Amino acid sequence: MFKHFLFAALTAFACGSQAADIAAGKLKAQTCIACHGENGLSGVGSFPSLAGQPSLFIVYQLFQFRGNQRVFAPMNALAQDLSDADMRDLGAYFASLPGPPGAIGQDTKKIAAGQRVSDANHCQSCHTPDFRGQKQVPRLAGQHVDYLKAQLKGLRDGTRMDIDGSMASAAQGLSDADIDAVSHFAAAMNLAP
Amino acid sequence: MNPIASNFSRMFVSAALGLAAFCAHAQQTPPATAVPPTWAQGRTAEQANSKLVPHPPGLIALPTEEIPTAKLKVPAGFKVELWASGLPNARSMTVGTKGTVFIGTRFPGNIYAVVERGGKRETHVLAKGLHRPNGVAFKDGALYVAELSRILRYDNIEDQLEHPPAPVVVFDALPKDEAHGWKFMTFGPDGKLYFQIGTPANIVVPPYTHAQIVQLDLSTKTIRTVATGIRNSVGMDFHPVTKELWFTNNARDWVNDDLPNDTLNHITRKGMNFGYPFCHQGNLLDPDFGRGRTCDEFDAPDMLLGPHIAALGMRFYTGSMFPSEYKNSIFIAEHGSWNRTTKTGYLVSRVTLDKNGKPIAKEPFMTGFIEGENFWGRPADVQVMPDGALLVSDDVAGAVFRVSYPRK
Repeated sequence: MFKHFLFAALTAFACGSQAADIAAGKLKAQTCIACHGENGLSGVGSFPSLAGQPSLFIVYQLFQFRGNQRVFAPMNALAQDLSDADMRDLGAYFASLPGPPGAIGQDTKKIAAGQRVSDANHCQSCHTPDFRGQKQVPRLAGQHVDYLKAQLKGLRDGTRMDIDGSMASAAQGLSDADIDAVSHFAAAMNLAP
Repeated sequence: MNPIASNFSRMFVSAALGLAAFCAHAQQTPPATAVPPTWAQGRTAEQANSKLVPHPPGLIALPTEEIPTAKLKVPAGFKVELWASGLPNARSMTVGTKGTVFIGTRFPGNIYAVVERGGKRETHVLAKGLHRPNGVAFKDGALYVAELSRILRYDNIEDQLEHPPAPVVVFDALPKDEAHGWKFMTFGPDGKLYFQIGTPANIVVPPYTHAQIVQLDLSTKTIRTVATGIRNSVGMDFHPVTKELWFTNNARDWVNDDLPNDTLNHITRKGMNFGYPFCHQGNLLDPDFGRGRTCDEFDAPDMLLGPHIAALGMRFYTGSMFPSEYKNSIFIAEHGSWNRTTKTGYLVSRVTLDKNGKPIAKEPFMTGFIEGENFWGRPADVQVMPDGALLVSDDVAGAVFRVSYPRK
């Protein structure tokens, strides 16, 4: 726990802001549970797990929901009332939680194909070799297949904005089959606790 | 194609496909390898595991009370103050004839205007949702904005900051590459718009449309190449006396910590080529693309500014507030390094020119954005104000600082 706090605090410092407050974030996260689950572990495939996400990723997404740059009506509505400080607290809280375990019982052929898609498209350059994510780049390990597929298609088709265009570029050459495979690969990635 | 050749090529293709399938152990054909993200392109095999990655883009403004303005240091006699805040990703600046400062952004898609009226400073968000509106320039009452691939014009803007008009699209045929696609834009003394079209990667042979500074003639809507071999220039200004175009250029990554240097250059004739991707900083052949070439083929920079410093906005000091030795000096916003083991840059530097207009010295002018390896701000552009003060935008703090020289 202390390690997580230290990491969040360091991240916040590195980004030029004061240490965010995990306990305050936990209180503010009560609204999130309905869709994103207890402890940031979503039980619904179309809603992402937030546990273990880099704090800056959470902050940046909330910021973009508030500004309607990233469009998903329920999140756009919820984010309107959040201050920058709220976002930092929420980011610190979700970053402090143990992330979702890798999905089990997946199609191994699909996972292997997904690894090849990932290698060919350099996913691990930014998302890190174990898909833990870093800074503003999300953790993919253990994330829901349905959610990942929807995001990748949105990025490829230009319906989901990304901050700097990296993901739009990366997703350009992906077929639906590639997206399916690489989403299975990410979902099955299991990080040691 | 004749039938035999056609047959042969079919055989060749099927043999190749067969081989590919074999290599993939009879599973799916592996996808063709895509281009890595810009920042990671050009790494050697040994560098593939490097921990160096770009810093997160500045997307959120620091709360005003958290901006540590007191940490900023300037030479004796100068004064720094926080001039505007709450401007996420504030980058390139320009000033209108009535004193309005217009500020572009790369990531949030906003354009800001800051103006002083009746002793009060007002901030307006003129536009939201634009695509990488990094470039701003002002002429004849109109604000021009360079998006990634379009140039927009907001007419009579200073009289309608509260209710800005819908923009007129004045040019819509620029490349759409995200990599180095954001623009720095300025008007030349000839009334034409000048901006860069950066290279679409870290180190590649660019398309003939890229890695250059171009000129847009607004009356004919034609684009002309001004100079080539320029990796990505995110700062340019015309010399107040010679009227020649000077510019900063960002050098490639992943050579090593100390090479190549970002550069300061200027254009003296048509057809100049500053070497990218074959030769960097006038004297360093590229480890890959330099083979069989020589730097003598290319034009050399006027000054090496330092490796990885990310030299962005630059302006000649044309004001009358600072001491006279500052006249026609160049201020450069050094955004700061990511592709270097120890951080460098994160300051505003001053380059002095001798009486022949040759750069002779570079010194730090405004420091304090970084402590050890931790930065809280990153200078993105500099702008000389009508009163002679120097504004410095910071796209991480989301703020603009004002440097003045109070007379005693």
